[in-house]
Amino acid sequence: MKKLLTGILLVASSSAAFAEAPGGPNCGWGNMLFQGNSGIVYHFLASTTNGTSGNNTFGMTSGTNGCSTSGTLTYGGKAMVTAMMDEFSADVAVGEGEALTAVAVAYGVAKEDRAAFASLANQNFAVLFPSESVTADEVVANLEALMKADAQLSQYVI
Amino acid sequence: MQAQSLELWTQSEWVNLVHYKAGTWPGSWRSATEDPRFFLADNGSTDPRAELQATLAAFTALATLADDHAQCRFVARLAWLRSKLDLGDLPKPNCAAYQAFRQEVQARHAVLVFPSYYLNSPSSMFGHTLLRLDPDEDGGGSEYLSFAVNFGAMVDPSDNGLFYAFNGLTGNYPGQFEVDHYYKKIREYNTGENRDIWEYPLNLTPPETERLVQHLWELKGVSFAYYFFDENCSYRILELLEIARPGIDLTSGFPLTAIPIDTVRAVARTGLIQGKHFRPSQGTVLKQRLAAVPDALHDTVIELGMAPERLDDADLQALDPKTRARLIDAAYKYLRFTQTGAERDPVVAQRSFRLLQALQRHAAELSQSDVTKLEPGASPDLSHGSRRLALGLWNEESHDYLTLGLRLSLHSLQENRAGFPIGAQINLGNFDLRIEDDGNIDMNRFDVVDILSLSPRDAFFKPLSWAIQTGVDRQWTGSREHRVAHVNGGMGATRALGANNLLYGLTTARLEYNHGYDTRTQPALGLRGGLLLNAGPLTVNGEVATEKFANGEARTRVELRHNLRLSRQQALHVELQWRDQQPEHTTNIGLRYQYYY
Repeated sequence: MKKLLTGILLVASSSAAFAEAPGGPNCGWGNMLFQGNSGIVYHFLASTTNGTSGNNTFGMTSGTNGCSTSGTLTYGGKAMVTAMMDEFSADVAVGEGEALTAVAVAYGVAKEDRAAFASLANQNFAVLFPSESVTADEVVANLEALMKADAQLSQYVI
Repeated sequence: MQAQSLELWTQSEWVNLVHYKAGTWPGSWRSATEDPRFFLADNGSTDPRAELQATLAAFTALATLADDHAQCRFVARLAWLRSKLDLGDLPKPNCAAYQAFRQEVQARHAVLVFPSYYLNSPSSMFGHTLLRLDPDEDGGGSEYLSFAVNFGAMVDPSDNGLFYAFNGLTGNYPGQFEVDHYYKKIREYNTGENRDIWEYPLNLTPPETERLVQHLWELKGVSFAYYFFDENCSYRILELLEIARPGIDLTSGFPLTAIPIDTVRAVARTGLIQGKHFRPSQGTVLKQRLAAVPDALHDTVIELGMAPERLDDADLQALDPKTRARLIDAAYKYLRFTQTGAERDPVVAQRSFRLLQALQRHAAELSQSDVTKLEPGASPDLSHGSRRLALGLWNEESHDYLTLGLRLSLHSLQENRAGFPIGAQINLGNFDLRIEDDGNIDMNRFDVVDILSLSPRDAFFKPLSWAIQTGVDRQWTGSREHRVAHVNGGMGATRALGANNLLYGLTTARLEYNHGYDTRTQPALGLRGGLLLNAGPLTVNGEVATEKFANGEARTRVELRHNLRLSRQQALHVELQWRDQQPEHTTNIGLRYQYYY
């Protein structure tokens, strides 16, 4: 059972002023399906050499609510789904795509089982996404329930 | 001391690890960072020897320091010094934080990543670079989960443009490395900013990649001054590569400016690049999907985004399944595209969901083979050189003269477009000297900034076209020629005529400082329009512009420019100008040889 682990590598202390505060634009609503992307600040010559605006943690990552946290999290499929709801839902609909693969990898699904994972998700699109207001946590719960009930994929969920 | 006898502090590995550069005085050194967290000696930022000695001493500190121990913080220094010296039995601190970091960042290979241009923003043509660290050879299909290494300025988003530019030029912004999941970068560039991404896998070996990651850890939280033009994102990435593979020299070629695309070429010249991969932006994918939908249904694509229930109408029910599937796919992608940068709108979310449900029912018709492989144009590394030398022969009315030109960067509308977006121009620092037949030398023109953005509009994409230019040029005023300082700009729209041609029109405004006028500073309003035709190696640009000044002066100019590509780095340019500046008009014909490097 291989799980990818994640830990916050660093929260920049000197630049607290720049760090994204929990409750910022990527929190809460961030796990709703079809979230609008946060707007980009366009600078006249800014893009000549990108600054990264705002969030400057050396590390990452998404908790279940999409907020940066400074704790250590288990970086499994759950966080991946949360982080990429839009991409994931579109991939599930067509039954293939990088976001779908990434979620499979994050769950530790072996290469030979990934086609089965993709097809399970695709065929159960309506189960995974009952409405446009589904939250990431619900999607994850639905996905894990489907996997548990699947002989080939149950080994990947505890 | 072995270190003494070997003079280890003079070796390039040490110099690179502590980011030293030769200082102003011969024999003096300065590190690119002054961040005290990065040094163990008080004068470490200017004294490589003291820093080396302090590092060796700190390695012998009590193991109880754990994560704060120099062995835990300066992992790459430790590895290199171990390879050079017999360090004997050092204490063995428990480096939990570093171990956790390494547990997570499993890197065996590295990829140089170049997010290219975004629509309507010629300034993005300079590009940006970051690195991606992959756990194994093929990424296992999980590049999303790879880590991206990005050096960026910590910009306060509330800074206004001028303040931002000033800080960026003077190094007032602190820059730091951040390590984050690659999918966030994909989302940021491909989706948020609609920029295609080019990925260049590097042939760094696993041990070399290891060294790079070790050094990244040392740089955690260390601030460097961020200069937009030279010590920027790309420059620091080059430094990392120099550390990964000792003996290569990438940075010395960029003493003054580091244009990201030039750094990619420098890496390629060093033999580090072993491939190329294209990751299309949201907009690029959308264009490709729209191309798969019959033109007659393009209006329907937009309608479906407004009202997915249109799918139940008889005319759409009657479509063959494959066309229907492509229609839904394009409609979904277009609707999501329109939401880029927008807050979540519950109504749009519901429509998106409806389309996605419909898409799922047609998934079988959207097989892999249906999604034709995108044929990207030339990659950015194949574009002509960023700098240009030009030699021109001109005939204006009855006299002839020569011009010598140097352009510091980057690309004009009429030039070889391979590797650049269509209709985008950005020139910074374009100088032209004029040599008269009597040997008199004078400035012909000087463009400080010259930007033109002509992004075509259609039913799906609606960018504005715009232009801004400032500098010094020549104007005939009151029967003699004056060098005038000016700033001008315009706003308008562009249409595509076929795949390679553009028709554009702009309303313009100009402010000019001209000695020939009684009131020297004169504003003007005008119109400008033209046609850009591309035919193989030849580009033709015809333009007509007219302006009226506050003092009643009127000007009209008609220009025809031809650019013939001779090779990637050479071109011939033929220009015909007719200028009517009452009371007289002038005709100017020129031939220019252009060399890029």
